[in-house]
Amino acid sequence: MANSRPLSNSTALRDESMLRRALSNSTALRDESMLRRVRHLGSARDGLQEWRLQRRTALALIPLGLYFAASMLRLATSDQITAAAWLASPIPALLTILFVLAALAHAVVGLRSVLVDYVHTRARLVAADLLVRAAAVILAGASMLAVLKLFLGR
Amino acid sequence: MDRPLSPFMFPTWYRFQLTSVLSILHRLTGIALAVGSILLAWWLVAVAAGGEVFTATHAFIVSPIGMLLLFGWSVAFFYHLCSGIRHLAWDAGHGFEIRDAYRTGYAVLAATVLLTVLAWLYVLLA
Repeated sequence: MANSRPLSNSTALRDESMLRRALSNSTALRDESMLRRVRHLGSARDGLQEWRLQRRTALALIPLGLYFAASMLRLATSDQITAAAWLASPIPALLTILFVLAALAHAVVGLRSVLVDYVHTRARLVAADLLVRAAAVILAGASMLAVLKLFLGR
Repeated sequence: MDRPLSPFMFPTWYRFQLTSVLSILHRLTGIALAVGSILLAWWLVAVAAGGEVFTATHAFIVSPIGMLLLFGWSVAFFYHLCSGIRHLAWDAGHGFEIRDAYRTGYAVLAATVLLTVLAWLYVLLA
């Protein structure tokens, strides 16, 4: 009985290192949460913040999206002067920027959840996630610059 | 182990049903809209840049492919919007019964068609 404890401890350590090796290059939330469950470290990741961001941007995008879609479908085929005049006025400029930011934040979380499901190698997942985030930042920056240029230059 | 993973289960193992098709469509339209945000940013930059950049962009938008993309964007957008509201209702704990899932599913499809038709009537008539 006296040496049963150290024995089971070393077994647990070996199991953990085997588990870690087996999962080191795989993805999915469950890997990390399994390791954490082994170590009793509580929740696996900070997914709640992303979950909240997804729902909050979704709520914001209901009115923003309806407004933007209605305006956009008409403007898309219009001439440059009409489109520029619309984007240069304060309310459309503000709502366009808010729509683009909310949509891109929503897209980053959404695309990440798709990637997590279908990209099964950690290195590829990290690369794809970085690519999505970089693209979102570039698109957000370009869109904001474009709207600000029109708004400030009117 | 070579187990069949989620998307590849479909044609052989799973029967298509409204609920799963709508769920997949939510993802597909989400991805399409994310790709569409590239075109949106492009259009915004083109309006700001003006000149030849806008002329080329405008020519692309009013071309058959451009109009098809714009129409597709509107359908994807209205579908994702309606389906997203259905998801928000689930998040709030409503509509989990199978009968409700079918009802709200058909409602989402009907609302998508309605919103798309209304939006394009507004575009073409106004």
